[in-house]
Amino acid sequence: MKRILIVDDAATVRMYHRSILETAGYAVEEAVNGFEALEKALQSSFDLYVVDINMPKLDGYGFLRELRGQDIRQVPAIMISTEADASDRQRAYAAGANAYMLKPSRPEQLLVNVKLLIGEAQA
Amino acid sequence: MAFIKKSRNSDALAQDERKVQRDCSSLALGLEQPDPLARRWAARDLADCPDASAALVSRLQREDDASVREIIFSTLTCLGDDIAVAGLVQCLRSDDAALRNEAIEAMKQLPDEVAAIMQGLLEDSDADVRIFAVNVLESLRHPEVESWLIEVIERDPHVNVCATAVDLLGEVGTEASREPLRHLKARFADEPYIQFAADLALKRIAEI
Repeated sequence: MKRILIVDDAATVRMYHRSILETAGYAVEEAVNGFEALEKALQSSFDLYVVDINMPKLDGYGFLRELRGQDIRQVPAIMISTEADASDRQRAYAAGANAYMLKPSRPEQLLVNVKLLIGEAQA
Repeated sequence: MAFIKKSRNSDALAQDERKVQRDCSSLALGLEQPDPLARRWAARDLADCPDASAALVSRLQREDDASVREIIFSTLTCLGDDIAVAGLVQCLRSDDAALRNEAIEAMKQLPDEVAAIMQGLLEDSDADVRIFAVNVLESLRHPEVESWLIEVIERDPHVNVCATAVDLLGEVGTEASREPLRHLKARFADEPYIQFAADLALKRIAEI
């Protein structure tokens, strides 16, 4: 079973994404900020990260920058944000994101991105 | 032995040594010194000077050293005057996520001062500022918190502002939030997240 780490400071958002991903057959773990996510990413292996940008302590950009400096840099990441500006999208990709989604996410959009990045998308 | 109350900044400065004079004009100049150590001392000691908030707010917008910023925020929180609060609000408009988060945390420590401007923040033309205002409410110990959140979910047109408010109502909402949550579900009937979060909040309220 593919493993996904959800990183978001909002408990309801984590529950929402967990519900969508577990229903689709993925194993899910959670982290409440970038520091906790980094700790989990270094201790355990994941197939994908779903990361909020605005978080206290270490935000999504900081998490991805730290992550990309480690051996686990090849694991794909989806960044999720309320920011719709092109500059925010560019900044996310520059930090190491593989996909960028706007909040509130829709289940079908999230699953399309997850499957594409995990390599389960149908040809 | 006399008991000396530690200031909130004292731990961070425990190993430091004052290297500038402590009169107000010297301290104001100290905020512009290239050495972060000098700026930290100035940021702390300026608390007793007139116009301290204005000088600290001005420096905050340009300060890139995290340890100096921490002390500026701490001193502004201690001061808590109109200029200090306005400076914190200004940070909510910054592109610097860390600066915004630090400002939100500082504002949470000023419930009465922030309460006086909360209505205006929740009606700000920038949806991001309204979201950050709701974030401030998360730990703002104030009796009006639920009323403000209800007003947000009843009136705010932006789905993410309402989503942030619903998340919080799931924690602090009472029976008074029940009908507004149902209205919100109807208003954003095609938004799966709003349906999920509002149902969760309604379930928690029913369990109270």
